[in-house]
Amino acid sequence: MDKIVGYLPILIGGMGVTIAVAILSMALALTLGAGFATLYLRGGRLGRAVTTSYTTIARGIPDLVLMLLFFFGGERAINSVLALMGYERISLSPFFIGVVTLGFIFGAFLAETFRGAYLSVPHGQIEAAQAIGLAPRRILGRIIFPQMLRLALPGFTNTWLVMLKSTAIISIVGLQDMVGLADKAGKATREPFVFMLAVILFFLALTAVSGNLLHRLERRYRPGF
Amino acid sequence: MRFDLIFKHADMFIDGIVMTLELTVASLAIGMLIAMPVAVLRTMRLPYIDAVLRGYVFVFRGTPMLVQTYLVYYGLSQFEFIRDSFLWAVLRSPFNCALIAFSLNTGAYTAEILRGAIEATPKGEIEAAQAIGMSPLRMLRRIVIPGAFRRALPQYGNEVILMLHGSTVASIITIQDILGAGRTLNGKYYLAYEGLVTAAVLYLALTFLIAGAFGIAARHLQAHLRPASTR
Amino acid sequence: MQGLEPSGALRLAVRDLHKSYGALEVLRGISLEAHQGDVIALIGASGSGKSTFLRCINQLEDCSQGEIFVNGEHMDLVHRKGRRVARDPRQLRRIRSKLGFVFQSFNLWSHMTVLENLIEGPTQIHGMHRDEAVTLAQSLLERVGMKGREGAYPAQLSGGQQQRIAIARALAMQPEVMLFDEPTSALDPELVAEVLAVIRDLATEGRTMLLVTHEMAFARDVASKVVFLHKGLVEESGPPAEIFGAPKSERLTQFLKHVRLN
Repeated sequence: MDKIVGYLPILIGGMGVTIAVAILSMALALTLGAGFATLYLRGGRLGRAVTTSYTTIARGIPDLVLMLLFFFGGERAINSVLALMGYERISLSPFFIGVVTLGFIFGAFLAETFRGAYLSVPHGQIEAAQAIGLAPRRILGRIIFPQMLRLALPGFTNTWLVMLKSTAIISIVGLQDMVGLADKAGKATREPFVFMLAVILFFLALTAVSGNLLHRLERRYRPGF
Repeated sequence: MRFDLIFKHADMFIDGIVMTLELTVASLAIGMLIAMPVAVLRTMRLPYIDAVLRGYVFVFRGTPMLVQTYLVYYGLSQFEFIRDSFLWAVLRSPFNCALIAFSLNTGAYTAEILRGAIEATPKGEIEAAQAIGMSPLRMLRRIVIPGAFRRALPQYGNEVILMLHGSTVASIITIQDILGAGRTLNGKYYLAYEGLVTAAVLYLALTFLIAGAFGIAARHLQAHLRPASTR
Repeated sequence: MQGLEPSGALRLAVRDLHKSYGALEVLRGISLEAHQGDVIALIGASGSGKSTFLRCINQLEDCSQGEIFVNGEHMDLVHRKGRRVARDPRQLRRIRSKLGFVFQSFNLWSHMTVLENLIEGPTQIHGMHRDEAVTLAQSLLERVGMKGREGAYPAQLSGGQQQRIAIARALAMQPEVMLFDEPTSALDPELVAEVLAVIRDLATEGRTMLLVTHEMAFARDVASKVVFLHKGLVEESGPPAEIFGAPKSERLTQFLKHVRLN
């Protein structure tokens, strides 16, 4: 039991990796989500078809399968392109693969969230903005966007909490996050239970703290005041 | 793509599908057995018991299923008294460990879904049941639970899909499910795509099947939400 | 024909019923008797306590003081944790099964068809055989003009239809007394008449009924006795001709001035 004390700094470092992966994945997911939501809403029939295929694949295939596919298949695919262009082989880090996978998957969830939020802004408000002569760009920036943020916040909170837990799978391809480190330490010390329990507590702390913050934000910016 | 290799090992994938379905269905079934009493008890807000149940739900919904599975599979074997006890016969098998972790996990999520649906029972329907002299238990059985199941159906369908996807964790602890079959194929021939793409397609197909089945079930069970076709 | 004189056995008696929400006393001692065949209309402004009174009779709300007798059986109420509840839940359930309650918002069980709603009570509470309950339900559906809609779900029916089903559901329990809590208040104006017609039928066949209503014309035509509640007290009561024709109290006169009779 006391062995864990010695490992504590390492585990806390692992927690930092977990948080870093989660934040970067979220940044990618937000970008993809916003992009595909726009494509869906503005891209005509083709845009809708592309977005629908994306969300179907990202949400219909398990995260672990997609990650392994990106990890093994992605590297092979990039290297065959690089070889054609005469470049050296590269190898993709688990960190990079993890961020890409989670960003890809949760971008689909956020695309739906953003689309829903956009469509929830009452059409009458847009008409009212047009009626006083606001330019489309300003309608988007001053009327639609601020309301969308509030409407999308609960969906964002949910996506963040689910994604935080999904980071655990990246340890399978070798990421030294807190799950990977705890797994290693548990095997080295023959006390896997203790280390996994520590990871569980870390995750509970992370989900509780970030969930709490986001829920507070939700209450503050609840639509309708 | 070496399709020939995929078809050559079709039986491996079929076994994988069977294993995935077995694990998913069994976990969902046990999870439901856990969830029903938890959900009902939580709506009663009993002191102490509620704190324990809230803790259960909080822990299993707040942590990754991978870690929960590790805790059962690797973690419990740390203790000598477990290795020496009759429990070891159960816990030695990766399948049983996955089943335990998955059931507890989906049980927590399902309990929350059911609790929400139970608490959404219209107050008037409860009063109508009281007014004809129903006992609380009968009311639960005849009015609250049947209504709650129908209301919970779409969300539960989602949970079933999440459980199917989550069950891929089993392949990490050596279980030959669909993903396990895909990884075996790739490993055997040093392939990058074939096994995993096949697994992805199979999971996608199963996801569609489940979503479709729940759509049909919802149309039957939620008939009361549809306006009548004839007046 | 129907006078103030008791025309039969005492079906329901309420003595000195009180109820408060904290410091606010909404019922301040109401007594009332209903004999076989009485149709008693409870009228009064909103906030007068008439709905609360009706809900207290079958304990959908607890009362702080007062006694209730149904068909001569005394409801045994005791104080527990600051509330006054039934000493024996089984007795309460037995008494409730003798009181048919019709809600303002129908409260049909949404996951059950019309027929299932109707046979639920008889089969589950009375232990009636399903076939028998179905036969009973069919005849009740005919009475309320809803024959042929057995398989429909509540959400597929109009408000007036739902309320007629709810009345049939209450009747299926073969209650001693029917309690109506503003049965037409939640309905669109054009649907009120069909529900009132059903209630009128029940009145003429000699059912014992208590009816909280805003439909003054209906109360005047159908009731054998009208009770006017004001601020949790019975301000005035008597036969409809007197209540509507020659109100004695100033408050009733004021109240009637503000409601239309037709």
